Amino acid sequence: MNKIMMICIILFSAILPGCIEDTKDENIEITIVTYDVSGLSDSMLSDFQNNTGYRVNLVKLDDAGSILDHILQSKGSQTADLALGLDNTYLQIALDSGVLIDHAAKLYNIEQSSLEFYNGSKAVPFDKGWICLNYDAEFVDGENLTIPTSLWNLTGDDWKGKVAIPSPMTSSPGRAFMVATTDYFDNDEDNTTDWTDWWSAMNDNDIIITSGWSEAYETHYTGGYGELTDGYIGDANIALSYCHSPGVEAHYGEGWTKSAALDIDRSSFLQIEYISVLEGANVEAASAFIEYLVSGEINQNMPTENFMYSVLENNDLPIENEYRANSLIPQVCAEVSSQDIAVNMEDWLTMWNAALSQG
Amino acid sequence: MLKWAGRIAIAVYSILVFIPLILAMNRMIQIAGANPFIWFDSLGLYQLSEGAIAFTFVQAIISTIATLLIATPIAWQLGRYSWRGKPLMRAILTMPFVMPAIVAAMGILAFVGPNGFGYRSNESTHFWTLIIAHAWFNMALVIRFTEPVLSTLNRNLEDQLKLLPSGKSALGRFRILWLPLLTPSLAAAACMTFVFSFTSFALVRWLTPLENSLETVMASIGSSAGIEGYSEYSNDLVLASSMIQFSVLLMSLWLMSWLQDKRQSKLPRADEESAQTKNTKGLFILLPGLLFALTPMIIVALASIRIVSRDGVEWSFVAWGKAWNGDYSNTGVWEAMLNSLGYASITLMVALPLGILLALYIKELENTGSKYARIVDLLTLLPFAISSVMIGLGVILGIIIIDPVELKEWWILPALPHIMLTTPFVVRIILAALRGLDPAYDENARVLGLSTIERMKKIHFPLMKGPIFIAGIFTLAMSMGEFGASWVVTRFGQWDTLPVLIDQLRSRPGWDPLIQPTAAAAATVLMGITLVLFLIAERFRTTDQEGMF
Repeated sequence: MNKIMMICIILFSAILPGCIEDTKDENIEITIVTYDVSGLSDSMLSDFQNNTGYRVNLVKLDDAGSILDHILQSKGSQTADLALGLDNTYLQIALDSGVLIDHAAKLYNIEQSSLEFYNGSKAVPFDKGWICLNYDAEFVDGENLTIPTSLWNLTGDDWKGKVAIPSPMTSSPGRAFMVATTDYFDNDEDNTTDWTDWWSAMNDNDIIITSGWSEAYETHYTGGYGELTDGYIGDANIALSYCHSPGVEAHYGEGWTKSAALDIDRSSFLQIEYISVLEGANVEAASAFIEYLVSGEINQNMPTENFMYSVLENNDLPIENEYRANSLIPQVCAEVSSQDIAVNMEDWLTMWNAALSQG
Repeated sequence: MLKWAGRIAIAVYSILVFIPLILAMNRMIQIAGANPFIWFDSLGLYQLSEGAIAFTFVQAIISTIATLLIATPIAWQLGRYSWRGKPLMRAILTMPFVMPAIVAAMGILAFVGPNGFGYRSNESTHFWTLIIAHAWFNMALVIRFTEPVLSTLNRNLEDQLKLLPSGKSALGRFRILWLPLLTPSLAAAACMTFVFSFTSFALVRWLTPLENSLETVMASIGSSAGIEGYSEYSNDLVLASSMIQFSVLLMSLWLMSWLQDKRQSKLPRADEESAQTKNTKGLFILLPGLLFALTPMIIVALASIRIVSRDGVEWSFVAWGKAWNGDYSNTGVWEAMLNSLGYASITLMVALPLGILLALYIKELENTGSKYARIVDLLTLLPFAISSVMIGLGVILGIIIIDPVELKEWWILPALPHIMLTTPFVVRIILAALRGLDPAYDENARVLGLSTIERMKKIHFPLMKGPIFIAGIFTLAMSMGEFGASWVVTRFGQWDTLPVLIDQLRSRPGWDPLIQPTAAAAATVLMGITLVLFLIAERFRTTDQEGMF
């Protein structure tokens, strides 16, 4: 027993220094609060450190909503320098709360469409993508089922229990889609119903509401990679994802995919993700990281590293493996200003819950 | 001396466990208001909490019944009969309890999923999959609570009973002897199984994705609690869920504490050798039991070398290289393992002495017949009644309020929830062992004039070396596998632990077919470490050592 005790003591003594920060390191460290952005690889962070001398500490949360929660909870005493991944459904709330400050990054070459939502100095877009419904093209083959042309089609018997959408309460794509439906039904020809009626009808039609994107797309959707995974249920032939998700499927499927994006006017939403400097941050170091993230060298890799579009001019999805060919750019996407989203979101969520409780 | 040390231990424990929670509750109440009826009403208003109360109760009750049905025969065979390789068997059968639930979920999903037996597409199987998963997870509790009773009952007692008219049939002996003897242990195990099933998060989330439980409600919106003017409904939901959970679980724990105490005073004992015989037929129960315990873990290990793509299934170790190098994460497996061991070591250094002091103090209070003994005992059990999400929130909303800038640099912070969650286990193990000590030793020492410290040094610690070592190993294993609270607090840590790494990998979009095997490889490393720790612990265990573990 004594020997084992000794081994344990030696083992622990060897391990503990790894846990205790080397406070003598002269390098400046910046902390980035983010979701699991897969584009930030170890080699990329090492490159940044070698070029600038700034070390990077990543604090990974669930999604854009978690990032906002975190920075609002820490208001007045932020524990991070940068927030990476707030999207345009959350950005205005962060701006209004005063937790974001001006950056000092020199930016070139960012395309105008990515700056339309916000073009100030407190947030810089770093990637984007259209959120829309995806369908299983093997199931919706035009013979057994026709491709829906209106959101109301999805309330019919053909689609009973076959549509999976993440909850706007807990998922940022779900939130973006709910916002899109407000615009869709504000602009449709029918003045007798509104967006909550559609959600109520969908509730009556056994819509599958999931906690997040991966549960909707991976667990329930029949058209994606989920069918290869162990948790797959496969009860939904339509799921909410990105309009370029079929392109990503093709990218990994050597050009093959059975998933397609559904192009119904105003039912999609352009999601833009931002990087922002937080109050109390080392602005110089944080701005250096922003410059690095939106540099051509890094940002052009967004489609393959982070499965999103680059925000730089003259950049598009790769054509290899039919990535671009299978990615849809919606003809008309929802238009809701970030101010409207910030002002109305709590009410919309209450109304959405009421609509979903009426079944 | 012991009295003062005990009081200090209670103060430290209270500061660690309750101050953060009180601060967090206070912050949420400031936003939600102090009317509990409004909190409880909120559970009926939101889609994400729909049916949560009913589902939580129903699955916890059925899980408890299923666990007893599955685990009792296994505990009987393990306890009543002698087996070659018993320590290994016991390690295997009890190891699921310290497995991170996410690892268990991965193994079970692989078993029932499209690459396994294909039950997953039938939604009616989801509920029963969860029940079986909870039984897998908690059967260790039944074994650990009942095996000491079974293994040390003098066989002559049963033989004598066979001579009596009412003891001639097996049913009669069961009714007269075994039922009254085992009821307190089984009921105590049932209470704890109910508690752990009630607070189950990862298994509910992964195995029954269409259902809501109180724990999943808290986990879903907990991160937005405590923010004024933003998502204020989350405060109502968290407060309501945690209050219901706390009340129900407190009652369960009080019942368990009372039953453990009751059991302690009534057990007839004999040495293990005389109580046990051979029973080869029992293998028909033990072997399936071992298979049941091992299957999800073996499947996870196999999943680490099975790569499923559109081209079919390929078997390869390539995901191990990816996991080791951290190709899909910012931390490789080796680094995450060192981080996990580091946090586990910190946890051990705090939780073990703290738990020992608390157990000694409770025993001292029991010896003096103090009415506070049960209260302090219950106090040490309270973290079981608090959701790990709440413990995480307590650290964030509570401690961070105090001084976030300074605390950001406080490297012990991510270990804090581990300490909060493992200390009760140390108390359970040590207290059960202290209760099992022959009081004659202590009384003789008192007569000889030995002081409290001398008695601890010369009697308690030498006799308690085994349980202390087991408690230490158990603390390390629990800390290595802890995920729920770490998941909430990890945002303030700079070192990803193995369970956090597994979750990060598991949560990534799985377009790349190597992602899932990489997560399984990391999970296999964690399982391997836990198995080694448990095998070491078994070397120091005697069969009459009671308690939770």
